[in-house]
Amino acid sequence: MGPESRSARIRTLVAEQAARRGDRVGVVDVCTAAVAALPVGGAGVSAMSRTAPSHPLCSTDSVSGQLEELQLTLGEGPCVDAFLHGSAVLAPDLLTRDLQDRWMVFADAALEAGARAVFALPLQMGAISPGVLDLYARVPVRLNAEEMADALAFADLATLVLLDARIDETGGPRDGPVEDLGAYRAEIDQAGGMLTVQLGVGIEEAFVRLRAHAYAQGRRLGDVAADVVARRLRFPPDAEPDQAGEDP
Amino acid sequence: MDEQLLSKTFVELADNLVADFDLIDFLRLLTDRCVGMLDASAAGVLLADRDGKLRVMAASDEQVRVLELFQLQNDEGPCLTCFRTGAPVIVPDLTREIDRWPRFVTAAHRGGFGAVQALPMRLREETVGALNLFRAAPGPFDPSATLVAQALADVATISLLQQRTTQRSTVLNEQLQAALNSRVLIEQAKGKLAERQGIDMERAFTALRGYARSHNRRLADVARAFIDESEPLYGLGA
Repeated sequence: MGPESRSARIRTLVAEQAARRGDRVGVVDVCTAAVAALPVGGAGVSAMSRTAPSHPLCSTDSVSGQLEELQLTLGEGPCVDAFLHGSAVLAPDLLTRDLQDRWMVFADAALEAGARAVFALPLQMGAISPGVLDLYARVPVRLNAEEMADALAFADLATLVLLDARIDETGGPRDGPVEDLGAYRAEIDQAGGMLTVQLGVGIEEAFVRLRAHAYAQGRRLGDVAADVVARRLRFPPDAEPDQAGEDP
Repeated sequence: MDEQLLSKTFVELADNLVADFDLIDFLRLLTDRCVGMLDASAAGVLLADRDGKLRVMAASDEQVRVLELFQLQNDEGPCLTCFRTGAPVIVPDLTREIDRWPRFVTAAHRGGFGAVQALPMRLREETVGALNLFRAAPGPFDPSATLVAQALADVATISLLQQRTTQRSTVLNEQLQAALNSRVLIEQAKGKLAERQGIDMERAFTALRGYARSHNRRLADVARAFIDESEPLYGLGA
Protein backbone atom coordinates (compact mmCIF):
# COMPACT_ATOMS: atom_id res chain seq x y z
CA MET A 1 0.00 0.00 0.00
CA GLY A 2 1.69 3.17 -1.14
CA PRO A 3 1.78 6.27 1.01
CA GLU A 4 -0.26 8.12 -1.59
CA SER A 5 -3.39 6.25 -0.72
CA ARG A 6 -3.12 6.25 3.07
CA SER A 7 -5.85 8.81 3.77
CA ALA A 8 -8.13 7.24 1.18
CA ARG A 9 -7.55 3.77 2.60
CA ILE A 10 -8.28 4.96 6.14
CA ARG A 11 -11.41 6.74 4.93
CA THR A 12 -12.62 3.51 3.34
CA LEU A 13 -11.97 1.50 6.51
CA VAL A 14 -13.98 3.99 8.54
CA ALA A 15 -16.80 4.13 5.97
CA GLU A 16 -17.06 0.33 6.15
CA GLN A 17 -17.60 0.50 9.89
CA ALA A 18 -20.34 3.10 9.42
CA ALA A 19 -21.98 0.98 6.72
CA ARG A 20 -21.94 -1.99 9.08
CA ARG A 21 -23.75 0.14 11.65
CA GLY A 22 -26.06 1.47 8.96
CA ASP A 23 -25.50 5.07 9.89
CA ARG A 24 -23.56 8.18 8.91
CA VAL A 25 -19.88 8.15 9.69
CA GLY A 26 -19.27 9.10 13.30
CA VAL A 27 -16.19 9.23 15.52
CA VAL A 28 -17.16 5.82 16.89
CA ASP A 29 -16.50 4.40 13.41
CA VAL A 30 -13.03 5.93 13.43
CA CYS A 31 -12.45 4.19 16.77
CA THR A 32 -13.66 0.76 15.69
CA ALA A 33 -11.73 0.99 12.42
CA ALA A 34 -8.57 2.01 14.29
CA VAL A 35 -8.91 -0.96 16.65
CA ALA A 36 -9.31 -3.30 13.69
CA ALA A 37 -6.30 -1.86 11.86
CA LEU A 38 -3.81 -1.31 14.70
CA PRO A 39 -2.31 -3.57 17.38
CA VAL A 40 -4.54 -2.07 20.08
CA GLY A 41 -7.41 -3.39 22.16
CA GLY A 42 -9.63 -0.35 22.26
CA ALA A 43 -10.04 3.27 21.32
CA GLY A 44 -11.92 6.31 22.52
CA VAL A 45 -12.37 9.95 21.65
CA SER A 46 -12.85 12.79 24.08
CA ALA A 47 -14.02 16.26 23.11
CA MET A 48 -11.65 18.73 24.69
CA SER A 49 -11.53 22.48 24.92
CA ARG A 50 -9.50 25.14 26.66
CA THR A 51 -12.61 27.07 27.54
CA ALA A 52 -15.32 24.47 28.17
CA PRO A 53 -15.45 21.24 30.18
CA SER A 54 -14.13 18.21 28.33
CA HIS A 55 -16.22 15.10 27.93
CA PRO A 56 -15.86 11.59 26.47
CA LEU A 57 -17.56 11.16 23.11
CA CYS A 58 -17.24 7.46 22.50
CA SER A 59 -15.22 4.36 23.27
CA THR A 60 -15.07 0.87 21.84
CA ASP A 61 -15.06 -1.03 25.12
CA SER A 62 -15.30 -0.52 28.86
CA VAL A 63 -11.53 -0.23 29.35
CA SER A 64 -11.19 2.64 26.92
CA GLY A 65 -14.32 4.16 28.39
CA GLN A 66 -12.68 4.07 31.82
CA LEU A 67 -9.46 5.54 30.44
CA GLU A 68 -11.33 8.52 28.99
CA GLU A 69 -13.21 9.11 32.23
CA LEU A 70 -10.10 8.68 34.36
CA GLN A 71 -8.04 11.23 32.50
CA LEU A 72 -10.75 13.84 32.39
CA THR A 73 -11.49 13.33 36.08
CA LEU A 74 -7.87 13.26 37.21
CA GLY A 75 -6.78 15.97 34.81
CA GLU A 76 -3.67 13.94 33.96
CA GLY A 77 -2.66 11.28 31.50
CA PRO A 78 -1.56 10.95 27.88
CA CYS A 79 -4.79 12.42 26.54
CA VAL A 80 -4.47 15.55 28.69
CA ASP A 81 -0.82 15.99 27.70
CA ALA A 82 -1.58 15.42 24.03
CA PHE A 83 -4.23 18.10 24.11
CA LEU A 84 -2.17 20.63 26.05
CA HIS A 85 0.98 20.23 23.98
CA GLY A 86 -0.61 19.48 20.63
CA SER A 87 1.56 16.47 19.99
CA ALA A 88 1.13 12.72 20.15
CA VAL A 89 1.93 11.10 23.49
CA LEU A 90 3.12 7.52 23.29
CA ALA A 91 3.21 5.32 26.35
CA PRO A 92 4.23 1.86 25.12
CA ASP A 93 4.40 0.43 28.66
CA LEU A 94 2.78 2.07 31.68
CA LEU A 95 4.90 -0.07 34.01
CA THR A 96 8.07 1.81 33.08
CA ARG A 97 9.41 4.09 35.73
CA ASP A 98 9.35 7.41 33.92
CA LEU A 99 5.73 6.96 32.86
CA GLN A 100 4.80 6.05 36.43
CA ASP A 101 6.50 9.25 37.59
CA ARG A 102 4.87 11.30 34.90
CA TRP A 103 1.30 10.28 35.72
CA MET A 104 1.41 9.32 39.37
CA VAL A 105 -2.28 8.55 39.74
CA PHE A 106 -3.32 7.81 36.17
CA ALA A 107 -0.64 5.19 35.45
CA ASP A 108 -1.74 2.87 38.25
CA ALA A 109 -5.43 3.48 37.65
CA ALA A 110 -5.01 2.68 33.96
CA LEU A 111 -3.10 -0.51 34.73
CA GLU A 112 -5.82 -1.52 37.11
CA ALA A 113 -8.43 -0.86 34.44
CA GLY A 114 -6.56 -3.27 32.16
CA ALA A 115 -4.42 -1.00 29.97
CA ARG A 116 -0.68 -1.52 29.65
CA ALA A 117 0.08 0.74 26.68
CA VAL A 118 -1.67 4.01 25.85
CA PHE A 119 -1.32 6.27 22.83
CA ALA A 120 -2.96 9.67 22.68
CA LEU A 121 -3.21 11.56 19.41
CA PRO A 122 -4.45 15.12 19.39
CA LEU A 123 -7.17 15.95 16.88
CA GLN A 124 -5.87 19.11 15.38
CA MET A 125 -5.60 21.34 12.38
CA GLY A 126 -3.52 24.36 13.26
CA ALA A 127 -5.32 26.19 16.07
CA ILE A 128 -8.35 23.94 15.68
CA SER A 129 -8.16 21.21 18.32
CA PRO A 130 -11.50 19.64 19.15
CA GLY A 131 -10.30 16.62 21.08
CA VAL A 132 -8.03 13.61 21.43
CA LEU A 133 -8.04 10.05 20.09
CA ASP A 134 -6.87 7.53 22.70
CA LEU A 135 -5.73 4.02 21.89
CA TYR A 136 -4.82 1.36 24.44
CA ALA A 137 -3.42 -2.15 24.47
CA ARG A 138 -3.50 -4.80 27.20
CA VAL A 139 0.13 -5.66 26.55
CA PRO A 140 3.22 -3.46 26.07
CA VAL A 141 3.38 -2.45 22.43
CA ARG A 142 5.22 -0.05 20.17
CA LEU A 143 3.67 1.27 17.00
CA ASN A 144 5.97 0.90 14.02
CA ALA A 145 6.28 3.67 11.42
CA GLU A 146 3.44 2.38 9.28
CA GLU A 147 1.15 1.91 12.24
CA MET A 148 2.02 5.34 13.56
CA ALA A 149 1.25 6.93 10.20
CA ASP A 150 -2.08 5.09 10.13
CA ALA A 151 -2.85 6.18 13.69
CA LEU A 152 -2.17 9.81 12.74
CA ALA A 153 -4.40 9.43 9.68
CA PHE A 154 -7.21 8.05 11.88
CA ALA A 155 -6.80 11.09 14.13
CA ASP A 156 -6.98 13.43 11.12
CA LEU A 157 -10.15 11.79 9.92
CA ALA A 158 -11.66 11.91 13.41
CA THR A 159 -11.02 15.67 13.39
CA LEU A 160 -12.95 16.12 10.17
CA VAL A 161 -15.77 13.82 11.27
CA LEU A 162 -16.15 15.77 14.51
CA LEU A 163 -16.21 19.10 12.72
CA ASP A 164 -18.53 17.90 9.96
CA ALA A 165 -20.95 16.63 12.60
CA ARG A 166 -21.54 20.29 13.40
CA ILE A 167 -22.65 21.14 9.90
CA ASP A 168 -26.41 21.51 10.05
CA GLU A 169 -28.92 19.51 8.06
CA THR A 170 -28.91 21.83 5.09
CA GLY A 171 -25.29 21.49 4.17
CA GLY A 172 -23.87 18.40 5.80
CA PRO A 173 -22.48 15.27 4.18
CA ARG A 174 -25.70 13.38 4.86
CA ASP A 175 -25.34 10.35 2.70
CA GLY A 176 -22.45 8.02 2.96
CA PRO A 177 -18.98 8.68 4.24
CA VAL A 178 -17.22 11.92 4.77
CA GLU A 179 -16.36 13.09 1.30
CA ASP A 180 -12.89 13.93 0.25
CA LEU A 181 -13.19 17.60 -0.53
CA GLY A 182 -10.01 17.64 -2.57
CA ALA A 183 -6.32 18.00 -1.93
CA TYR A 184 -4.79 20.17 0.73
CA ARG A 185 -4.16 23.77 -0.23
CA ALA A 186 -2.78 26.50 1.99
CA GLU A 187 -5.74 28.67 0.97
CA ILE A 188 -8.04 26.44 3.00
CA ASP A 189 -6.30 27.47 6.21
CA GLN A 190 -5.95 31.09 5.12
CA ALA A 191 -9.65 31.23 4.24
CA GLY A 192 -10.50 29.77 7.65
CA GLY A 193 -8.54 32.59 9.28
CA MET A 194 -10.24 35.19 7.07
CA LEU A 195 -13.69 33.85 7.92
CA THR A 196 -13.08 34.28 11.65
CA VAL A 197 -13.09 38.01 10.94
CA GLN A 198 -15.88 38.04 8.35
CA LEU A 199 -18.19 35.94 10.51
CA GLY A 200 -16.98 37.08 13.90
CA VAL A 201 -16.52 33.46 15.03
CA GLY A 202 -13.71 31.22 16.28
CA ILE A 203 -11.40 29.34 13.94
CA GLU A 204 -13.21 26.03 14.46
CA GLU A 205 -16.60 27.49 13.55
CA ALA A 206 -15.07 29.31 10.59
CA PHE A 207 -13.71 26.05 9.23
CA VAL A 208 -17.04 24.29 9.74
CA ARG A 209 -18.81 27.07 7.82
CA LEU A 210 -16.27 26.87 5.00
CA ARG A 211 -16.80 23.12 4.64
CA ALA A 212 -20.56 23.50 4.93
CA HIS A 213 -20.51 25.97 2.07
CA ALA A 214 -18.43 23.62 -0.08
CA TYR A 215 -20.81 20.72 0.61
CA ALA A 216 -23.89 22.83 -0.02
CA GLN A 217 -22.54 24.15 -3.31
CA GLY A 218 -21.08 20.81 -4.34
CA ARG A 219 -17.70 22.45 -4.84
CA ARG A 220 -14.19 21.45 -3.88
CA LEU A 221 -13.08 22.94 -0.59
CA GLY A 222 -9.86 24.29 -2.12
CA ASP A 223 -11.77 26.14 -4.84
CA VAL A 224 -14.12 27.78 -2.36
CA ALA A 225 -11.13 28.71 -0.20
CA ALA A 226 -9.28 30.17 -3.19
CA ASP A 227 -12.30 32.40 -3.88
CA VAL A 228 -12.29 33.61 -0.29
CA VAL A 229 -8.56 34.33 -0.35
CA ALA A 230 -8.84 36.13 -3.70
CA ARG A 231 -11.68 38.13 -2.10
CA ARG A 232 -14.17 36.99 -4.72
CA LEU A 233 -16.35 35.39 -2.06
CA ARG A 234 -17.35 36.83 1.30
CA PHE A 235 -19.33 35.25 4.11
CA PRO A 236 -21.49 37.93 5.70
CA PRO A 237 -22.09 37.36 9.42
CA ASP A 238 -25.11 35.19 10.25
CA ALA A 239 -26.32 34.81 6.70
CA GLU A 240 -25.71 32.63 3.72
CA PRO A 241 -22.60 33.65 1.80
CA ASP A 242 -23.09 35.72 -1.34
CA GLN A 243 -21.02 35.99 -4.42
CA ALA A 244 -19.31 39.33 -4.05
CA GLY A 245 -17.72 41.43 -6.73
CA GLU A 246 -14.00 41.80 -7.19
CA ASP A 247 -11.99 43.21 -4.35
CA PRO A 248 -12.89 46.90 -4.12
CA MET B 1 30.24 32.27 -3.94
CA ASP B 2 31.13 34.74 -1.23
CA GLU B 3 33.01 32.63 1.36
CA GLN B 4 32.49 35.13 4.13
CA LEU B 5 28.76 35.36 3.54
CA LEU B 6 28.62 31.58 3.39
CA SER B 7 30.22 31.01 6.77
CA LYS B 8 28.26 33.88 8.27
CA THR B 9 25.02 32.30 7.07
CA PHE B 10 25.76 28.89 8.52
CA VAL B 11 26.76 30.44 11.83
CA GLU B 12 23.54 32.43 11.82
CA LEU B 13 21.46 29.33 11.08
CA ALA B 14 23.21 27.35 13.80
CA ASP B 15 22.64 30.22 16.22
CA ASN B 16 18.96 30.09 15.47
CA LEU B 17 18.65 26.37 16.15
CA VAL B 18 18.42 27.05 19.86
CA ALA B 19 16.36 25.06 22.33
CA ASP B 20 13.10 26.89 21.85
CA PHE B 21 13.32 27.91 18.21
CA ASP B 22 10.30 28.27 15.99
CA LEU B 23 10.40 25.92 13.02
CA ILE B 24 8.51 28.06 10.50
CA ASP B 25 10.43 31.19 11.45
CA PHE B 26 13.67 29.27 11.08
CA LEU B 27 12.79 27.84 7.69
CA ARG B 28 11.76 31.28 6.46
CA LEU B 29 15.18 32.56 7.49
CA LEU B 30 16.74 29.69 5.59
CA THR B 31 14.78 30.43 2.42
CA ASP B 32 15.65 34.12 2.70
CA ARG B 33 19.33 33.24 2.92
CA CYS B 34 19.00 30.98 -0.13
CA VAL B 35 17.79 33.98 -2.06
CA GLY B 36 20.50 36.25 -0.70
CA MET B 37 23.36 33.87 -1.13
CA LEU B 38 22.58 31.55 -4.01
CA ASP B 39 21.47 34.01 -6.66
CA ALA B 40 17.90 32.70 -6.38
CA SER B 41 14.80 34.83 -6.91
CA ALA B 42 12.57 32.69 -4.73
CA ALA B 43 13.07 29.69 -2.49
CA GLY B 44 10.76 27.30 -0.72
CA VAL B 45 10.97 24.36 1.67
CA LEU B 46 8.43 21.65 0.91
CA LEU B 47 7.58 18.76 3.16
CA ALA B 48 5.62 15.65 2.21
CA ASP B 49 2.51 14.83 4.19
CA ARG B 50 1.61 11.24 4.83
CA ASP B 51 -0.22 10.97 1.55
CA GLY B 52 3.02 11.90 -0.18
CA LYS B 53 1.71 15.36 -1.07
CA LEU B 54 4.23 18.18 -0.91
CA ARG B 55 3.28 21.08 1.31
CA VAL B 56 5.00 24.42 1.59
CA MET B 57 6.60 24.84 5.01
CA ALA B 58 8.30 28.15 4.25
CA ALA B 59 8.90 30.38 1.27
CA SER B 60 10.99 33.46 0.70
CA ASP B 61 7.81 35.08 -0.60
CA GLU B 62 4.37 34.28 0.79
CA GLN B 63 2.46 35.71 -2.14
CA VAL B 64 -0.22 33.36 -3.39
CA ARG B 65 1.29 33.57 -6.87
CA VAL B 66 4.59 32.15 -5.62
CA LEU B 67 3.08 29.60 -3.25
CA GLU B 68 1.01 28.28 -6.14
CA LEU B 69 4.18 27.48 -8.03
CA PHE B 70 5.22 25.23 -5.19
CA GLN B 71 1.77 23.74 -4.76
CA LEU B 72 1.40 23.05 -8.45
CA GLN B 73 4.31 20.66 -8.22
CA ASN B 74 2.14 18.06 -6.56
CA ASP B 75 1.08 17.21 -10.09
CA GLU B 76 4.28 17.84 -12.02
CA GLY B 77 7.57 19.65 -11.77
CA PRO B 78 11.13 19.40 -10.52
CA CYS B 79 10.17 19.25 -6.85
CA LEU B 80 7.94 16.23 -7.35
CA THR B 81 10.61 14.47 -9.40
CA CYS B 82 13.22 15.30 -6.78
CA PHE B 83 11.01 14.03 -3.97
CA ARG B 84 10.17 10.82 -5.81
CA THR B 85 13.71 10.01 -6.88
CA GLY B 86 15.55 11.43 -3.87
CA ALA B 87 18.03 13.05 -6.26
CA PRO B 88 18.65 16.71 -7.10
CA VAL B 89 16.84 18.06 -10.14
CA ILE B 90 18.57 20.93 -11.90
CA VAL B 91 16.85 22.78 -14.71
CA PRO B 92 19.02 25.60 -16.12
CA ASP B 93 16.48 26.53 -18.79
CA LEU B 94 12.80 25.92 -18.14
CA THR B 95 11.76 26.58 -21.75
CA ARG B 96 13.35 23.27 -22.68
CA GLU B 97 11.07 21.39 -20.29
CA ILE B 98 7.76 22.65 -21.60
CA ASP B 99 6.82 19.20 -22.91
CA ARG B 100 7.83 17.47 -19.71
CA TRP B 101 5.99 19.85 -17.33
CA PRO B 102 3.64 21.98 -19.44
CA ARG B 103 1.57 23.44 -16.61
CA PHE B 104 4.45 24.04 -14.29
CA VAL B 105 6.67 25.66 -16.91
CA THR B 106 3.86 27.95 -18.03
CA ALA B 107 3.15 29.02 -14.46
CA ALA B 108 6.85 29.52 -13.71
CA HIS B 109 7.26 31.74 -16.76
CA ARG B 110 4.22 33.71 -15.75
CA GLY B 111 5.88 34.16 -12.35
CA GLY B 112 8.99 35.49 -14.06
CA PHE B 113 11.23 32.46 -13.52
CA GLY B 114 13.57 30.91 -16.07
CA ALA B 115 15.56 28.31 -14.11
CA VAL B 116 14.88 26.04 -11.15
CA GLN B 117 16.61 23.63 -8.81
CA ALA B 118 15.18 21.09 -6.40
CA LEU B 119 17.36 19.53 -3.71
CA PRO B 120 16.18 16.53 -1.70
CA MET B 121 15.68 16.69 2.06
CA ARG B 122 16.92 13.27 3.04
CA LEU B 123 16.69 11.54 6.35
CA ARG B 124 18.39 8.20 6.60
CA GLU B 125 16.83 6.21 3.76
CA GLU B 126 13.84 8.45 3.37
CA THR B 127 13.22 11.61 1.35
CA VAL B 128 10.93 13.78 3.45
CA GLY B 129 10.75 16.88 1.24
CA ALA B 130 12.70 19.23 -0.98
CA LEU B 131 14.31 22.65 -1.11
CA ASN B 132 13.15 24.44 -4.24
CA LEU B 133 15.06 27.36 -5.74
CA PHE B 134 13.83 29.59 -8.55
CA ARG B 135 15.93 31.98 -10.58
CA ALA B 136 14.71 34.67 -12.95
CA ALA B 137 17.39 34.26 -15.62
CA PRO B 138 18.00 30.95 -17.40
CA GLY B 139 21.56 29.66 -17.49
CA PRO B 140 23.78 27.06 -15.84
CA PHE B 141 23.93 26.80 -12.06
CA ASP B 142 27.30 27.18 -10.37
CA PRO B 143 28.14 23.64 -9.11
CA SER B 144 29.59 25.01 -5.89
CA ALA B 145 26.34 26.89 -5.23
CA THR B 146 24.43 23.64 -5.74
CA LEU B 147 26.58 22.02 -3.06
CA VAL B 148 25.72 24.86 -0.71
CA ALA B 149 22.05 24.52 -1.59
CA GLN B 150 22.19 20.83 -0.71
CA ALA B 151 23.85 21.71 2.60
CA LEU B 152 21.02 24.13 3.30
CA ALA B 153 18.48 21.44 2.45
CA ASP B 154 20.22 19.22 5.00
CA VAL B 155 20.03 21.98 7.61
CA ALA B 156 16.30 22.28 6.91
CA THR B 157 15.94 18.53 7.52
CA ILE B 158 17.85 18.77 10.78
CA SER B 159 15.62 21.59 11.95
CA LEU B 160 12.56 19.37 11.47
CA LEU B 161 14.01 16.92 13.92
CA GLN B 162 15.09 19.58 16.39
CA GLN B 163 11.71 21.17 16.85
CA ARG B 164 10.28 21.28 20.30
CA THR B 165 8.51 18.09 21.22
CA THR B 166 6.96 17.42 24.56
CA GLN B 167 7.55 13.75 24.24
CA ARG B 168 11.05 12.37 24.04
CA SER B 169 9.42 10.65 21.12
CA THR B 170 11.73 10.26 18.21
CA VAL B 171 8.95 9.04 16.00
CA LEU B 172 9.66 10.65 12.67
CA ASN B 173 6.05 10.56 11.51
CA GLU B 174 4.93 12.46 14.52
CA GLN B 175 7.61 15.10 14.12
CA LEU B 176 6.72 15.68 10.49
CA GLN B 177 3.07 15.85 11.46
CA ALA B 178 3.84 18.47 14.11
CA ALA B 179 5.84 20.44 11.54
CA LEU B 180 2.97 20.41 9.05
CA ASN B 181 0.56 21.42 11.74
CA SER B 182 2.66 24.39 12.77
CA ARG B 183 2.47 25.59 9.17
CA VAL B 184 -1.33 25.21 9.17
CA LEU B 185 -1.43 27.37 12.28
CA ILE B 186 0.59 30.11 10.55
CA GLU B 187 -1.70 30.01 7.49
CA GLN B 188 -4.76 30.45 9.69
CA ALA B 189 -3.18 33.41 11.47
CA LYS B 190 -2.08 34.96 8.17
CA GLY B 191 -5.64 34.73 6.87
CA LYS B 192 -7.07 36.34 9.97
CA LEU B 193 -4.59 39.22 9.96
CA ALA B 194 -4.87 39.74 6.20
CA GLU B 195 -8.63 40.03 6.50
CA ARG B 196 -8.57 42.22 9.56
CA GLN B 197 -6.09 44.70 8.16
CA GLY B 198 -6.93 44.37 4.47
CA ILE B 199 -3.38 43.35 3.57
CA ASP B 200 -1.93 40.55 1.47
CA MET B 201 -0.57 37.22 2.78
CA GLU B 202 3.09 38.19 2.59
CA ARG B 203 2.54 41.35 4.60
CA ALA B 204 0.43 39.43 7.09
CA PHE B 205 3.23 36.92 7.54
CA THR B 206 5.84 39.66 7.92
CA ALA B 207 3.72 41.43 10.53
CA LEU B 208 3.22 38.25 12.59
CA ARG B 209 6.88 37.38 12.38
CA GLY B 210 7.90 40.94 13.23
CA TYR B 211 5.64 40.90 16.27
CA ALA B 212 7.08 37.57 17.44
CA ARG B 213 10.65 38.77 17.01
CA SER B 214 10.20 42.12 18.68
CA HIS B 215 8.49 40.47 21.64
CA ASN B 216 10.94 37.62 21.79
CA ARG B 217 8.21 35.05 21.27
CA ARG B 218 7.90 31.97 19.11
CA LEU B 219 5.98 32.65 15.91
CA ALA B 220 3.72 29.64 16.56
CA ASP B 221 2.81 30.94 20.04
CA VAL B 222 1.98 34.40 18.68
CA ALA B 223 -0.08 32.86 15.87
CA ARG B 224 -2.06 30.74 18.30
CA ALA B 225 -2.66 33.59 20.73
CA PHE B 226 -3.74 35.77 17.82
CA ILE B 227 -6.26 33.20 16.57
CA ASP B 228 -7.57 32.29 20.01
CA GLU B 229 -7.59 35.93 21.14
CA SER B 230 -6.29 34.62 24.41
CA GLU B 231 -4.22 37.74 25.06
CA PRO B 232 -3.98 41.27 23.70
CA LEU B 233 -1.43 41.59 20.89
CA TYR B 234 -1.05 45.32 20.39
CA GLY B 235 -0.16 46.21 16.86
CA LEU B 236 -1.91 43.20 15.35
CA GLY B 237 -5.27 44.82 15.89
CA ALA B 238 -6.14 42.23 18.49
